[in-house]
This record gives sequence, structure tokens and C-alpha cells, in this order.
Amino acid sequence: MSRSVWKGPFVDGYLLKKAEKARGSTRNEIIKIWSRRSTILPQFVGLTFGVYNGNKFLPVSVTENMIGHKFGEFAPTRFFKAHSVADKKVEKTEGTGS
Amino acid sequence: MGAHGVRGQIRLRSFTEEPEAIARYGALTDESGNEKFDLKLRGTIKDHFIGSLSGVTDRNQAEALRGTQLYVERDALPKPNKREYYEADLVGLEARDRNTQISGHVKAVHNYGAGPFLEIEPTKGDSFMLPFTDIYVPQIDLKEGYLIIDLPQGWLTKSNKAGASST
Repeated sequence: MSRSVWKGPFVDGYLLKKAEKARGSTRNEIIKIWSRRSTILPQFVGLTFGVYNGNKFLPVSVTENMIGHKFGEFAPTRFFKAHSVADKKVEKTEGTGS
Repeated sequence: MGAHGVRGQIRLRSFTEEPEAIARYGALTDESGNEKFDLKLRGTIKDHFIGSLSGVTDRNQAEALRGTQLYVERDALPKPNKREYYEADLVGLEARDRNTQISGHVKAVHNYGAGPFLEIEPTKGDSFMLPFTDIYVPQIDLKEGYLIIDLPQGWLTKSNKAGASST
């Protein structure tokens, strides 16, 4: 059963404070969070969070497409070790930091 | 790689981003690099390709190649765009931090849908992740084999030192 709309999206309160604080600072800080259950809100777009997966903090750079998803969706806790891809490319982004 | 049929065809599994691209990179080599093969793809079976290799004309020759791993020459890969890098080029690079004395090497490149990031294994301690952006990885020198990283404050501690107190 899905969450009632009248309740609004769930976000741990401390996360909003952290995001607000990070927006104000000019340092290249990654916001460490443990709240994998929190919903990604529009005010988080452009920030980089370090989401704890039980072992390490995985960087999650929030973009518009991620709004409405939970932080935990982008930081898997288990890994499937597949054969590496020989010609896989990765693009370096400008990034916004926080 | 294994044998298929009696006419020297082989079956192989491709580990390129686009599986069919394996036949577009020119001659493939074995692990030692001594033997070269020209590959032509003939069809597919489940998750395998059926193909034929130059100089392999009967099943016995194909059987002899069972388990052989084929490699693409690095120079045969197309040049990436300006801001693009091959993951294979990044893995193994030395990582030097601008501010601290921490150094290590790039262990892997990951992307779970929230932007690519590097896994860096320092000379001491556990590996850590770093977003692959200009802010945190300002300089990459593939020729010299290193990249400069800019670690965010408090990133390597497991505590909440850098941010506000939690809950």
C-alpha cells in the first residue's frame, strides 16, 4: 500500500537542516547521511550527499530526475561482481558540490 | 570461447559495452599478444555469439582454443570525447591529494544512477569513494599515470564530524 498523499513525502528532519547549511557554505562538502529512507526533495537538487550503505559512504549527486526517489535507491548495499567491460567510458561532470 | 559445429566456428561471450562492437575493433589477440585473430560474427545463441576466426577451419582447431580469452588492442579503441575517459584507463592511476599527504590508487569506477564516482584505495586504510567531477578530481594526467584529488573535509571519518548533528 502506498503512502497517503496528505502526509507529504517523508524526510528525516535533520536532513533538511544539513542541506540548508550546506547550501549556505562555499566549501566543497559532501553531506554525510545515514537516512536512506528519506525522499529526495526538489531543494536537494545540485547537492552531493554521501549515503551510507552499511559499510561506506557512496556519493549521490542529486539531479531533477531523482526527485521522489529515496536516497537508499542510489547506494546499494550488496554488489554483484560482474566481468569488467573493456570499452566502457565515463564522463567527468563539472559537478556542483554542495 | 568454445567450439561450435564442425566447420571451425567458435562461440564466444563479448564483454564490450555494445556486444557486437567486439568485431569492429580489428584484430583480436590472445592473452600473450602473440597470436592475432580476425573475428567475423555469424549469429547468436542465447547470450553467446557464433563467429569464425581467421585460420581456424575445423573443429579440432576451434577445440584447441577453448577457454582462450581474446583482447582488443588499446589503440584500436576510438578516441573518447573531451570530457570522457575509458574506465580501463582510470583504474590503476595513482591518486594524489592536493592538501593532505594521502595517496593511493584508483581501484574501480562505479555508477549506481547518481553520477559516476571513483573508488580509491589509499596506501593505508579502507577504500573510499569520490565523485568523478571537476571539484573533487580537478586534474587527470593519463600519460604520467596520476590524478589529483581534492578530498572534502571530514570525508574519510565514519563519524558525522563535518556536518550538523544527526537526528
